[in-house]
Amino acid sequence: MEGQEQLMLVMNNITKRFPGIMANNHVNFALRKGEIHALLGENGAGKSTLMNVLDGIYYPDEGEIVIEGDRVDLRSPLDSMKHGIGMIHQHFMLVDSLSVIENVILGLESQGFYINKKSVAGRIKAIATKYNFRVDPYAKIWQLSVGEQQRVEIIKTLFKGARILILDEPTSVLTPQESEELFGILREMKSEGKSIIFISHKLGEVMSVSDRITVLRKGRLMGTVDTASITERELAKMMIGRDVLFRLERGDIEQGREVLRVEDAQAYNDRGIMALDKLSIAVHGGEIVGVAGVAGNGQVELAECITGLRHLVGGHITVEGIDVTNASPCTLVSAGVNYIPADRLGVGLVPNLSTVENAMLRKYKQKSMRRGTFIDYGAACAYADGLIEKFDIAVPLKNAPVKVLSGGNMQKLLLAREIDENPRLLIAEHPTRGLDVGATEFVRKTLLEQRDHGVAVLLISEDLDEILMVADRIAVMYEGRIVGIVDAHHADIAQIGLMMAGAVGAKT
Amino acid sequence: MLRFEKRDKTPVRLRVLVPICSVLLGLFVGSVVMLFARVNPLRVYGAVVKGAFGSAYTFSETLVIAVPLILISAGLCLVYRMKFFNIGAKGQYIMGAICGSYLALFGPATMPRPLLLTLMMVLGTIGGALWAIIPALLKAYWNVNEVIATLLLNYIASYILWYLMYGTWRDQRSHGFPLSKSFALNAQLPRILPAPSRLHIGLFFGLVAAGIVWIIIRKTRFGYEGRVLGENERAARYAGINVFKTIIIAAAISGGLAGLAGIAHTSAVLRILQLEINSDYGYTAIIAAWLAGLDPLVAVGVSVLLAALEAGGYQIQIVMRVPFGIVGVIESAILFCLLAGEIVTHYRVSLTRRLTA
Repeated sequence: MEGQEQLMLVMNNITKRFPGIMANNHVNFALRKGEIHALLGENGAGKSTLMNVLDGIYYPDEGEIVIEGDRVDLRSPLDSMKHGIGMIHQHFMLVDSLSVIENVILGLESQGFYINKKSVAGRIKAIATKYNFRVDPYAKIWQLSVGEQQRVEIIKTLFKGARILILDEPTSVLTPQESEELFGILREMKSEGKSIIFISHKLGEVMSVSDRITVLRKGRLMGTVDTASITERELAKMMIGRDVLFRLERGDIEQGREVLRVEDAQAYNDRGIMALDKLSIAVHGGEIVGVAGVAGNGQVELAECITGLRHLVGGHITVEGIDVTNASPCTLVSAGVNYIPADRLGVGLVPNLSTVENAMLRKYKQKSMRRGTFIDYGAACAYADGLIEKFDIAVPLKNAPVKVLSGGNMQKLLLAREIDENPRLLIAEHPTRGLDVGATEFVRKTLLEQRDHGVAVLLISEDLDEILMVADRIAVMYEGRIVGIVDAHHADIAQIGLMMAGAVGAKT
Repeated sequence: MLRFEKRDKTPVRLRVLVPICSVLLGLFVGSVVMLFARVNPLRVYGAVVKGAFGSAYTFSETLVIAVPLILISAGLCLVYRMKFFNIGAKGQYIMGAICGSYLALFGPATMPRPLLLTLMMVLGTIGGALWAIIPALLKAYWNVNEVIATLLLNYIASYILWYLMYGTWRDQRSHGFPLSKSFALNAQLPRILPAPSRLHIGLFFGLVAAGIVWIIIRKTRFGYEGRVLGENERAARYAGINVFKTIIIAAAISGGLAGLAGIAHTSAVLRILQLEINSDYGYTAIIAAWLAGLDPLVAVGVSVLLAALEAGGYQIQIVMRVPFGIVGVIESAILFCLLAGEIVTHYRVSLTRRLTA
């Protein structure tokens, strides 16, 4: 039994309802002083909701929050900050064009009218030294790597006096090495007596870094366990409710001829910085090439160049021997290039249009769906019905905006639409991000199916496990180049990790 | 302390109730202002209603104002859906009036009336369309913000009108007033009701235009491409939609309808080109389009209501000797309340107590 005095935080019977869903259903959660407590669950399990309640972003419908024995009422992130709670969101809350100092003091009430940058810089450095990392207080945020930006976020919360730190999926943007460094920082904080809540759905890292684990599933508490007393497999079962396949069945490759060839591609990113630095890669029919790399090393730009959404300033791209360098997206689609973009609602789908109108986006110009300048909505509807049935997409109302669908069903729709074009080359960018286990399995199986049909698949993913599971060859990307290509069957994770961090060059 | 949470979807009940309550609240706010001005609000509202709908004649005058609003707002519904924020309907209206009037003033006098009028309307439409294509091209090629470009083009159009009215187009017999000579009968768009009503066949232009724009948006490939583009430009580009072409065509349609409104109003109602050709309808129509939720058919109704407020406003000014500014106050109070109402439809608002700890 744990004594009340060593508990930092208790959340009792927290319930939060959203229209049509119980995001948190009478959840209890207790955090000890000086522990790293992992909050584990699939996407949509209610982890983020629970932590947003703690951060004052949501107000619970029922339940109470007790911090160090006192019942508190958290109505805003400011309230939470006052009680020593600091949250580091998955998407950093930093202003790119401002310096580290300016970001750290942003929203701080205690600062006077005049800002003493020197003293703030000193305090930032002191915090950094204490936890064995370095950061230049005068650097602008956009100049920092993602890992460094995360540290700025950590400093920001510590600067505000946080004693409880919440990290929302902090490793999703880091290399394995950077993640290890982060874990080091977290352990250091723990020894300082700070309490850390670590949100994740990755079993491996949860096992390695946490002291205790609380598992949520579909908004309900599945239990809290000591990390030392549980195995990964048991944890997975708790999280998902059934045994999980850790391996996907896949046949041997029958590598066809070359479908995609990218040669010395050069392109700028949105900020005008060279994002692709003479990159070359080839993908053959009947193989899946996985592109591994830390976010922001040019993966997005690569996908955009191949799909015609970004202009190449140098180099060539050919698809099945035909030069498609800087061709329009339309030409590329007719050349058999299809795309599952990372940003489903930003690039792939049109959120406010209906399922039917989204389904027909690739087909509406074809004869079967038009009558002169008019669109044959009857035919479009029938076509959408076909996709919905074939891919088993759960669509409550065909004419309701597509944004009301769940992430998994949106992705199914997108996948269905693109695959129905009979692609020669399929570019899939983070195709399972934010999906639950069932949908993830479906997407991966579909990709493998396409491969077996002889389609060339380029899979861009931050999830190394996914790449290892699905890909035949792994290309590691760093600073706009492919720094190495390895056979997935003989892949060494440590080696790939080092390549992702730019520490090891090409060894092909 | 107020809390706002985004709604997943808005119940239909709210969609109907909120605007109605907003208008009532706006009228109430307007009443408070009127009480300060020592006017009886009920009498004012009564006068507005009477002034706008009181008789066949007053209603027809309301429709005279509604016609340009309907035409312009129909076009705006189309471009706004593509996220091209054309606020230059005023300038496009003026350019339409100028271009169409050119034929009326300097065209061959012997031309048959139907031909002359058709040419005037076509020329006015082209003038307005060109004035809208300029900012669309600027946006397409140099990414110039269309809000600023269209706004500034309003001033340029106004000053072109000034230049013409004080210069070469001024009637020699106008005693120095900035007026053109009156349009010949051949150049006057027919009115459809007996005098003194000035309601003209432009009403049919407006209704047809609203219907056509509705069909474009809902039923055609162009409308579908435009909706995809407006909601998600990246998805549109990836789908192979020609973004520039779509925006330019939509801008041309919107500008063209504003131009048509300008020449129709000038030719049928004013029958003369002058400095004041009611070009502010170009701004009122923006409000009509937004209040209508960018649906051109709903915009017809909203245009009539806004026109009623305007027509009724003239009336209270004359009958009750209340300053016309009061109408502006009522109009803005209603608008503010409608905009505030939008928040209620999109967010769940609740009252919470500030924590004490």
